[in-house]
Amino acid sequence: MFEWKLALEAIGMVIYATFMGFIFMGIERKAMARIQRRVGPPIYQPIIDTLKLLGKKESVSHGFIYDFGPVFALGASIAALLFIPLANFQLFSSNADLIVVAYLLEVPMLGIMLGAMSSGNPYSAVGVQRGLLTMVAMQLPYGLALIAIAQYWGTFKLNSIVALQQLHGWSITVPALLLAFIVFDIVFQAMLGLEPFDIITAPAEISMGPMVEYGGKHAALLFTQHAVQLFAETAFFAVLFLGGASNLLELLIKQIAVLFIAIFIASIYPRFTIDQAAKFFWKWPTILGIIAVILAGW
Amino acid sequence: MGGDFISYELKEFKLFEPLFRWARKKSIWLVAFCTGCGGIEMPPLVTARYDIERFGMMPNPAPRMADLFLITGYVTPKTLKRIIITYELMPDPKYILAHGSCPINGGVYWDSYNVVKQLDKYIPIDVAIAGCMPRPEAVMDGIREIMRKIENGEADGWRRYRENYEWYRKNQDELFGEGWRERDAKRWLAWL
Repeated sequence: MFEWKLALEAIGMVIYATFMGFIFMGIERKAMARIQRRVGPPIYQPIIDTLKLLGKKESVSHGFIYDFGPVFALGASIAALLFIPLANFQLFSSNADLIVVAYLLEVPMLGIMLGAMSSGNPYSAVGVQRGLLTMVAMQLPYGLALIAIAQYWGTFKLNSIVALQQLHGWSITVPALLLAFIVFDIVFQAMLGLEPFDIITAPAEISMGPMVEYGGKHAALLFTQHAVQLFAETAFFAVLFLGGASNLLELLIKQIAVLFIAIFIASIYPRFTIDQAAKFFWKWPTILGIIAVILAGW
Repeated sequence: MGGDFISYELKEFKLFEPLFRWARKKSIWLVAFCTGCGGIEMPPLVTARYDIERFGMMPNPAPRMADLFLITGYVTPKTLKRIIITYELMPDPKYILAHGSCPINGGVYWDSYNVVKQLDKYIPIDVAIAGCMPRPEAVMDGIREIMRKIENGEADGWRRYRENYEWYRKNQDELFGEGWRERDAKRWLAWL
């Protein structure tokens, strides 16, 4: 039997997440502008940008894989979103949500890389190489932070992690998980592609990195994907460390708090080069992560 | 190289056209390609004093995503080749804002042997700002003008370029000689 309620909930959740993701991107640009003492664009600017890209009269394609890349990325983002317990909605559930979501949040990057590589642009190739190296570098501390979480709460199910946090206090009040929080926050900058680790789309160096050849409708699809991804990643962060939420408003406040930490870090620090980033990831966050795992096991 | 590149034109939806025009007006992305001396006038525009990001304008390094091409200052034949190639990379609709006297009539380089005197013969210009150099206020005025033209649908340089392509192509070939695209492409990408 086809479950109408589940389908409607999923569609509503995707629309809500896309809209709020665009607003988050607007907040990001506006807050950066205010920090640099500019007026900044209106908060709904990313929606206008996406509309404009959809309204382009011409679109350039380099073949099937090029078209397939953004669709693949958007699909993975939406799948990750539906596994995360957003307030009292969790549409899909399994025994190992944590692992599924952690991997699904990495997949969109691979989709973009797939599409970018098929365009044959040298800037795309450099961007893809940097992106893959950043991913390899950040997997280790990212995995350690997640292991610390799973070790301390003794479960891989995201909704039991939320329930346990509401019973025993948020994750960040536990010393071991506070260290994991710091590690995850450093990795989070790289996941969002923000400043100290925005080596992938380094705008002044390699044009736009993997996105250089995308224009028109493809770019609009990538913008939508970025919005959903931003929403899903901030929600994942809030669920793991800030005690989840019982309604969407509470979740929204926590997501915006997480977003502002990322924006402030991004507006202060300059960009790492790729070798510095890899060295950094394999040094300090890894050490902190190992300490967090050991402490969480006690 | 011939077959692996598909460019398709999309149908125009009359119903949504006003919405798209409004969106195009409110979100103009610039190509970050500064020719000549006007490039130095750009930092005041994007920084705190005149902040063009409040109109949704943003310097964008990738020509595939860009809408507005700012020609900032004099154009030599060597730069013009790059300008034409970058302009043809941009997807329709696309606009050109010529900045200063030099793209209009040569300006102070009116008798130079190596400056393109009238840019409008090679690529279509939508709005030209006179002055040498125009101050940021004048550039802001030009930006308001192009926003007005986009909203009224008068900024149709891309359509003129598409319809009169033979004429523009003839002028370009007169300046650079036949087959200059292939020659230049071979120089940059030796394996072609």
